Amino acid sequence: MARIRIEGLGKVFGATRAVDDVSLDVADGDFLVLLGPSGCGKTTLLRMIAGLIQPSTGRILVEDRDITYLPPRERDVAMVFQSYALYPHLSVERNIGFPLRAARRPKAEIATRVREVAGQLELDGLLGRRPRELSGGQRQRVALGRALVRDPRAFLMDEPLSNLDAKLRTATRTELTALHRRLGSTFVYVTHDQVEAMTMATRIALLDGGRLEQVGTPTEVYDQPASVFVAGFLGAPPMNLLPATVAGRDGQVVLTAGGVDISLWPGGADSTEVTLGIRPEHLRVLPAGAPAPAARGRLTGTVTGIENLGSEEVGWLGVGTGDAASAAVAVRGPRPLGLAIGDRVTLIVAPEHVHLFSRDSGRRLTWQPDAKVPRPSRPVDLTTTGA
Amino acid sequence: MFVELAVPATLAGEGRAAVQAARPALARRLLAATPPYLYLLPALACLVLWTYKPLVEAVQLSFYDWNLLPTSPMTYVGLDKYRQVFTQAGLRHAAVNTVIYIVCLLPFSVVLPTAVALVTRRLGGRSRDVYRALVFTPILVAPVAAAAVWRWLLDPTGLSNQALGWFGLAPHNWLREESTALPAILAITAWSMCGFAVLVVSAGLTGISADYGEAAAIDGATGWQILRWVTLPLLRSTLLFLVLMTVLLSGQWTFPLLDSLTQGGPAESSTNVYYLLWELGFRNFDSGLASAAGIVFFVVFGLIAAGLVALADRFSFHDN
Repeated sequence: MARIRIEGLGKVFGATRAVDDVSLDVADGDFLVLLGPSGCGKTTLLRMIAGLIQPSTGRILVEDRDITYLPPRERDVAMVFQSYALYPHLSVERNIGFPLRAARRPKAEIATRVREVAGQLELDGLLGRRPRELSGGQRQRVALGRALVRDPRAFLMDEPLSNLDAKLRTATRTELTALHRRLGSTFVYVTHDQVEAMTMATRIALLDGGRLEQVGTPTEVYDQPASVFVAGFLGAPPMNLLPATVAGRDGQVVLTAGGVDISLWPGGADSTEVTLGIRPEHLRVLPAGAPAPAARGRLTGTVTGIENLGSEEVGWLGVGTGDAASAAVAVRGPRPLGLAIGDRVTLIVAPEHVHLFSRDSGRRLTWQPDAKVPRPSRPVDLTTTGA
Repeated sequence: MFVELAVPATLAGEGRAAVQAARPALARRLLAATPPYLYLLPALACLVLWTYKPLVEAVQLSFYDWNLLPTSPMTYVGLDKYRQVFTQAGLRHAAVNTVIYIVCLLPFSVVLPTAVALVTRRLGGRSRDVYRALVFTPILVAPVAAAAVWRWLLDPTGLSNQALGWFGLAPHNWLREESTALPAILAITAWSMCGFAVLVVSAGLTGISADYGEAAAIDGATGWQILRWVTLPLLRSTLLFLVLMTVLLSGQWTFPLLDSLTQGGPAESSTNVYYLLWELGFRNFDSGLASAAGIVFFVVFGLIAAGLVALADRFSFHDN
C-alpha cells in the first residue's frame, strides 16, 4: 500500500531523452496505466520506479520517503516482467517462494504462503513443474504468484499480457482487475494496448517521446483528449483529425475546411487555423434525400472503403472538394451503414462532439465565451490531478 | 420443416484418389535432395581421414609387435601389448601425475575464470574489450614459443631467480628440480588457458538474460544470493563444459611444454600419460605398446567424457 510520487523524472541514454521531465502522482490503491507507443519511455519510467535504472534527473518518493537511490531490493515493490523472468532451473514452488526465501523466512511459512498463493491462482497441481513445462498462461500466473507471495507496497507490471493469445489476454485482464479490487494495492502497469489501458486503469498516463501528454481517468482521456497525439492514439479507428479554420460568420463561430462546414455556437472569432477532431462513432450518415437538419455540422465526401467488424461497420471517406487533396475520415456505426464505394455522402455531427486543437502546439483548445478567439486550454496541471 | 446446413464439401472416397498433385520426376527429386549431403561431405571426409581411420589403425597396431621400420616384420601378439600396458613401469606414476595436472588445473580453468568473468561483467564498452584482449593473449602464443620464453624466465639466471635474489633467496632451477618441474609446467599451462576460460564463462554469462538478475533483485535477493541461487545455477552447463575440457585436454595442453621444457623429467617427475604414450611410440619405437596404451586411454577418457556429458545434460537449463 503506497502512494508513489514522481517529480521531474528524466533519463538520458547518450543523445536520447528516453524520459523527459515527467511528474506523476500515483495515489494509494490506484491502477495507473502508462500508455504509449513503443519507444515512448513507459518501460524506462517503470524500471526507474523499480530501481533497475538510475534516473538522470528528478526523484521518486514512496510515502514521502525519497527512494531515488535505493537499490531495488530495498524498495519493497514487486514486478511482473514482459518475459515473466521465471527462474528456469527452479520449480514453480521455488519460483513463487523466491522472495520469501531471499527474506530468510522460515521454511514452513514459505510453504504455507506459496500454497495459499498457488491456490488463488489455480496453480495447485503445477508446483513441482519447471517453467519450461508450463503454457504461456500458466507462466504468466506463476510470475504473478511470485509478485503476490509477499505483501509489496506496489505492483509494477511491464506488458504482462503481451505474450498471451487474444482469448487468454481478455480473461487475464478481467482477473487482474478483480485482483486489484481485492488487494486495493497500488498498481503501475505498462502497456501499448489501449484496450488494456481503457478496461483496467483507474487512471491512464499517456506518454509520447518521453514526455507526459495527459493523465486522467479512461473517460477523461477518451472524451477530452488533451492533445492531437492523445486523440490520434486512442480509439479504433482513432479520432478523425483534419486541418480546418475557425471563423465568425453571421454571429456564429464556424469551422470550415474542404467539404466541411460546422456551425459551432453563437459568438465571434478571428480566423484561426486549427486541427479539427471528430470520433468516428460521433459521425452519422445522412440518408440520401433526407432533409438536412438545421444548425448541424456536415462533412461531404466520397466513400473509398468499407470494413466489416462483425457487430459494426467502418466506412472510409475521402472528404474534400473537387480535386483538392481529400482527408481520410472514418465513420463507425451499427451494421449496415448503408454505404457503397464511390457514393457521394454527407455526414453530420453534433457541435458538442467536435474537438479543436491548436495547429502549432497540438494542445486541446477550449472555448471561453468572453474571449474572441479560442484559447489553448491550461496545460494539464499534474500536481493536482492525482490529489 | 428444418433443413440442416450442409458441411463444406470434402473429397471423400474415390474423389480423393482422383486428385493428384503434380510431382517432379524421381531423378529430379533425388538431385534436389543431394545438396545438404554435399555440404557435409568435406567435413565428413576430413573426419574419416584424420580421426576414424587412425583410430582403426591404432586398434590394429595394438595387436602387433612392430618397431615402426617399414623393412622389419609385424608380428601378431594378440592381447600381449594390453597386458604390457598395465604392467608398464611408469604407467602408475604417469597416471597419478595426469590426475594431479587435471585437479590442479581446475581452479585455473574453472574457478578463477568464473570469478574474473563475474567481476569484469559490469565493465563497459572499450575497457571490457581491452581487458578481454589482454586476458586472452596467452592462448594465441604458440606453446613452443611460450615455452622458450618461460625457459628464460625460469632459468637459474633468469628473471624469476633475479626476483628471488632481491629478497635474499637462493636461485632455484625450477625445471630441473623434481619438486618444482611439475608445478612449473602446471603454472605455465594455467597462464595460457585461463584467458580462454574467462572468455568461455563471459560468453556463458552473456547468454543468461539480464531479466533473471533484475527479477531476483526486485524479489529482495542480495548480490550474493543472486549469484548463488540464480547466476551460478544458470551457468552450470558452461562450467561443466570447462571441467570436461580440462579433464580431456589438460594432457594435450601440457604436452608441448613437457616436450620442450622438461621431457617429462627430471626422473619422470613431470610426465603424464600422453607424454608416456609418446615416449613408448617414438623413443622406444614400440608401436604396438603405444597403440594399446592409446586405446586404453581413449576408452578411459571416453567413459569420463560420457559421464560428464550426461551430467551436463541433466543440469543444463534452457532459457525460454
